[in-house]
Amino acid sequence: MDSLHAIGFYVSAALSVAGGLSVAFLADRSRRGLALAVVAIGVAGIYLSLSAGFAAIVALVCYGGCAVLLAGSAYRAVEPATGGRWRQLGAIAAAALMATLAYAAYRGDFNRATYFGGTIGSAALGRRLLAHDALATEAVAALILVALAGATLAWRARDRTR
Amino acid sequence: MNVTLVSVLFVAAALVAAGAFVASWRRDLGHGLAGIPLMFAGAGTAFAGVSRFAAVPAGGAQLLGQEVAVLLSVVALAAVALGVGLAGREGPR
Repeated sequence: MDSLHAIGFYVSAALSVAGGLSVAFLADRSRRGLALAVVAIGVAGIYLSLSAGFAAIVALVCYGGCAVLLAGSAYRAVEPATGGRWRQLGAIAAAALMATLAYAAYRGDFNRATYFGGTIGSAALGRRLLAHDALATEAVAALILVALAGATLAWRARDRTR
Repeated sequence: MNVTLVSVLFVAAALVAAGAFVASWRRDLGHGLAGIPLMFAGAGTAFAGVSRFAAVPAGGAQLLGQEVAVLLSVVALAAVALGVGLAGREGPR
C-alpha cells in the first residue's frame, strides 16, 4: 500500500472513530445525525483505501441513510429503560470489549500476505452477490423486506391511534 | 507509513466498541439506535480488511470480505429503519 492510500486510511479512520464518539456525546439530534454522516464518510474512505470501491459507495449510501433517518423529523424519543448505574456498567463493558478486540487485533499480525491491487470491482462483486452467493443476498433481501414492512406497519398503527 | 491487517483490525475494534458505547450510554432507547450502524461499520471494516490482506487465490481476487461488508451496510440501514419505525410508534408525539 502506498503512502497516499495509507494517509487516506488513517485520516478516514480518525474521522470515523471521532464521529462515532461524537454520536455518544452530542445532545442535539441533528448534530448526532451530522456526526453519523461523518462516520459514513470515514467508513467509505476506509473501504476506498482498502481497494473496496463498490463497498465504499454502498456504505456511503447506507450509513448516510442511517444518518438521515436518525436526524429526520420522523424520529421520536422513547422513554429511558435503564438507570445511571446500568449505563455506567455498559460503558465499562464497551471498554472491556475494546480491550479484548484490540488484543485480538494485536495477535493478528501473523498475516503477511500482499494485496493484488485493484479497482472498484463492481462487476466481480456483483457476480459474487448475484451468482456465487445468491442465497445470502436473497436472505438479506428478505430481512430488508421484513424490516421495511415492520416499519411501515408500526407507522400505520401509530397514525391510526392519533 | 504503512497499513497492515493489525491497524485495520484496531480501527474495526474501535468502531465496534464505540457503537457498543453509544448503545449503552445514551439514555433514550431511540438514541441508542445510532450504535447499530457503528457496530456494523466496524464489522464491515474488519471483513474488508481481511479481504484486502488475505492471500490471493489462484483464480483472482479475494472478494468475500467486501461482499459481507456490502451486505452488512444494507442490513444496518434496514435495522435502523425498523428501529426508527418502532420508536415512532412507541414514542411521544
